Amino acid sequence: MGSTEPKRTRRKDMLGLRGVSRAEITQILDTAARIRAVNRRRVKKVPTLRGRTVVSAFFENSTRTRMSFDLAAKRLSADVLGFSASSSSTRKGETLMDTARNIDAWRPDALIIRHPCAGAPHMLAKAFPWSVINAGDGIHEHPTQALLDMLTMRDHLGNLEGRRVAIVGDILHSRVARSNIFGLRTMGAQVVVAGPGTMCPKQLESLGVEVRHRIDEVVEDADVIMMLRIQRERLGRAMMTGVAEYAGLYGLDIDRLRRAHPEVLVMHPGPINRGVEMTPDVADGDRSVVLEQVSNGLAVRMALLYLLLGEEGGDARAS
Amino acid sequence: MRVQAERPVVLRGVRWICPASGRRGDGDIFIVDGRIAESRPGDARVVDARGLTLLPHFVEVAAHLGDPGYLWREDLVSGSAAGAMGGFGLVVATPDTDPVIDRGALLGDLQARASGVTGAEVRFAGALTVGLKGEELAEIGSLVDAGAVALSDGGQAIADGLVLRRALDYSRPFGLPVLLRPGEPLLEADGVVHEGAVALEVGLRGIPAAAEEIGVGRAIALARQTGARVHLNAISTAQSVAQVRDARQQGVRVTASAPARALLLTDADVDHSDYDTSLRLVPPLRPELDRLALVDAVRRGDICLTSAHLPLSRVEKEHEFERAMPGAAGLETAFAAALTALDGDIEAVGRALAVGPAELLGRRPRLEAGAVANLVLVDSEATIQAAQPAASRGVNEPLAGRSLRGRVVGTMVAGRWVYSSIGA
Repeated sequence: MGSTEPKRTRRKDMLGLRGVSRAEITQILDTAARIRAVNRRRVKKVPTLRGRTVVSAFFENSTRTRMSFDLAAKRLSADVLGFSASSSSTRKGETLMDTARNIDAWRPDALIIRHPCAGAPHMLAKAFPWSVINAGDGIHEHPTQALLDMLTMRDHLGNLEGRRVAIVGDILHSRVARSNIFGLRTMGAQVVVAGPGTMCPKQLESLGVEVRHRIDEVVEDADVIMMLRIQRERLGRAMMTGVAEYAGLYGLDIDRLRRAHPEVLVMHPGPINRGVEMTPDVADGDRSVVLEQVSNGLAVRMALLYLLLGEEGGDARAS
Repeated sequence: MRVQAERPVVLRGVRWICPASGRRGDGDIFIVDGRIAESRPGDARVVDARGLTLLPHFVEVAAHLGDPGYLWREDLVSGSAAGAMGGFGLVVATPDTDPVIDRGALLGDLQARASGVTGAEVRFAGALTVGLKGEELAEIGSLVDAGAVALSDGGQAIADGLVLRRALDYSRPFGLPVLLRPGEPLLEADGVVHEGAVALEVGLRGIPAAAEEIGVGRAIALARQTGARVHLNAISTAQSVAQVRDARQQGVRVTASAPARALLLTDADVDHSDYDTSLRLVPPLRPELDRLALVDAVRRGDICLTSAHLPLSRVEKEHEFERAMPGAAGLETAFAAALTALDGDIEAVGRALAVGPAELLGRRPRLEAGAVANLVLVDSEATIQAAQPAASRGVNEPLAGRSLRGRVVGTMVAGRWVYSSIGA
């Protein structure tokens, strides 16, 4: 990182939004906004990454993010190799580094990795010359999710500066929340988080956010209400009291939505637990922009691949 | 203790410090027949020690040597050599081996093999419980008979208060120090770094300071209850330091050590190093305020220091941060780490690395005529470039690449150099 030409992204990897500049986030969002046009044509393909190889390695279940990345690479004409933990040698006890060494033998241009451990993408990025894109590392970051969230917000709100974004749910264990907090703060937005004391401790203030413990305290001033998924099966012991109580204190229903700003955006990284984070009428209502998030996700991932690997974006291996 | 017939040695012009008695001086020190002598011997090997400092050699009460079961990490020979290089004349091995050192026959066998090492003397701590499982008491009597110099939970904090109490009651008559890791396993859960602002930034699960403090509290209360002699290995927070100090003021027989590297490193270093697994440690690195409290406690003589030596191979460290085995090599850099953190206060370092740990094991390290020559010669003004271990097999030295102050020039056990960089 560190180029004398401000136009070109010289970064090798996209590991997280912490420390990424406002100028660079803006560049990625602008590129995504332009590249969207490809996805509206009849022939949804451009030759930008023809002959380049993109490997996607998902060590955690995910159908949609994975498909989104795969499709993004394919629309840019790259060759795509998919790799999922269940069918791979990790079952045979192969370490991540050894798996990566094997992948390296094919000389890929980029690896998209989702992994249950924070820092896994960083370990590979340090050791190998190809670009690494973090599709989610443990509870740490999920930068492309936050980028697509910010693009969606920007589409509706214009500018993110001074906007108030509320994030509700298990903030502590959410990589979506973390990346959004880093990115939104860089873009000048205010972030307020709400959740149970076990999932949303006051200590989160050290990230530069306000901390509340009831959704009612955050709906009224918010420009955006982002609801996070509660995954009961992934919570540790004694983290929450029950789905009914959770929905009562933290769920977004029509009555709460009515108290919010009439133009408020309702967002969710998906998939939605209907009746827990949101009632169906909110999820399907006219404030919800969840499906736009999905299509923006594809555009953001295309933009990132273009910026990291495309001719204009610079060759990460050049040296 | 081996007192051999070696050629007499004269350390010429050395500055010597005896932290136990508070005495110090400059001049020539004579070593004859393995002891410090009153008068200059004839036919001596003269070592020009001007500009160097002489202390009692350092003592490590809890180093992980991988024999039996983990020989790729370390063995008695490499561990002994690493100790000697670091200025340690005595290294006590922890019992967390495979199999665990929970029976006298195994300890006796290891001790017999250890008598052949040529670096630091190697002794052994016996396990308190069978297999270090924290359930049944190990054959403590037979471990003592076989030569154990301490008893230990091997880093597996005994969470069951009743078992811990019984272990302390049973072992007390044998008079050996009991080494305990202060912890609360259920609360530590799957944490890997200190629970605080840095954990939030890097997205790693945190270990709350309270877990260590509960463990410290439990150990102190039971030491008070049973009259046992307990040594906390190791503490890392300001609050733990305060608890230990208060307990000692009340006459509880508790001592504690901190890892030497914890005097220099904080949790922020995990962040800056980009998930470097040599910083994956138990206890975890804590924030700056805790680091400062540890430095202060060492300065005041409230706690001693340990190298917390846990050498690991690439196989064990080349993993994602949370999956890497915790631990770092430390015998070779502990002295320089401590001297750097204490701004050259060599007497405090001597107290913390040499005297405290030695006294814990019932030794009386003295620099005086007639005393056994268990010494370390250091250059306290030299700057070294810390590197991956030279003698230890471990590849996990977190201080590698740093400039540190203080170099071990020679280590002497009973009058014989077990390490020397000056051709002595």
